[in-house]
Amino acid sequence: MEQSRSIVEREGVRIAAVSYDSQETLQRFAEKYHIKIPLLSDRDSAVIRSFGILNTNIAPGLRAHGVPHPVEYLIAPDGVVVRKYFVPNYQHRVAASAVILREFGVAADGAPTVTLRSGALTIEIGLSAAKAFAGQQIGFFAKFTLQPGWHVYGSPLPQAYAAASVAFEDPKIIRQSFELPSAAPMRLAALEETIPAYTGSFRGSGSLLLKFPLEEGKTVLSGQVRYQQCSDTVCEAPETLPFELPLTLDPFVVARPHK
Amino acid sequence: MPIHIPEDLAEKAAIMREFGRLRAAGEHVPPELHVRHINATNDRYTTGPEPGERVPDFSLLDQEGVSRSLANLAGPNGLLLVFYRSADW
Repeated sequence: MEQSRSIVEREGVRIAAVSYDSQETLQRFAEKYHIKIPLLSDRDSAVIRSFGILNTNIAPGLRAHGVPHPVEYLIAPDGVVVRKYFVPNYQHRVAASAVILREFGVAADGAPTVTLRSGALTIEIGLSAAKAFAGQQIGFFAKFTLQPGWHVYGSPLPQAYAAASVAFEDPKIIRQSFELPSAAPMRLAALEETIPAYTGSFRGSGSLLLKFPLEEGKTVLSGQVRYQQCSDTVCEAPETLPFELPLTLDPFVVARPHK
Repeated sequence: MPIHIPEDLAEKAAIMREFGRLRAAGEHVPPELHVRHINATNDRYTTGPEPGERVPDFSLLDQEGVSRSLANLAGPNGLLLVFYRSADW
């Protein structure tokens, strides 16, 4: 979170974090790890309860009694929830950079991108950040740009055509999503069909949930783009282009402020 | 293989204690126990206010002892409010 603070603040959003720790614990933790974001002390879990996210699986007497389910909210200044992020496994967290890419279309500084070209189509794919932790959920985008007079297909689509899609095929990724804006219906006069298609430039975004644990260090995430590009007169066969994006997996920081 | 999710708090507590004991001792946690621990911890999870709903008012002390609320935390485009387990363990 602290590492993403500058890109988040550039978008006019601040970050704050709530836990059931005492103010003294949070002060030691913030000093030790140089954390500037507000760490809020909800000692009796009253705010956690008022949000309705107390973890009721944990019996009184256990150290973890009082912890929340790990939810992240993007809240407008008037207090209304814009979106919430939650991964139902305590080892997994959504990266702040994924939130910013999703909400504002901005990737972190130094985030990797790759550009693929084929015929009339250029595809730029990028991750939300250059670094991640095992178990984090990061974001990615794919921007398609077509020369005038050309289109690629969207969904839903008759079987004979291939819709534009981006998928990662990588054992380090345990869950992924990718969404494109809705494609406009296009009338194909010669075939007497109307099917969804994209023209010009369009952009989709997605998320990647990384496995936990993973070996730290430099690695790559691999995937492929699939599409079928056509003009008014020519229709190419469906194509699949592989791509790779570099990613550095950071070592886990273990919070032990007393030592 | 269907994974048994305990209904009972005491049964969940037993799983959590055993998991905690192995972790604290630096011993290997069998994958099966790991999965049972995750399931016991995340059973019937709740995620609070939905998009479009208003969050409850709150006022909490930050690490410096300063009282903070949504009004003095949010930027012009809002606040990313992160609920997490603990800074202590």
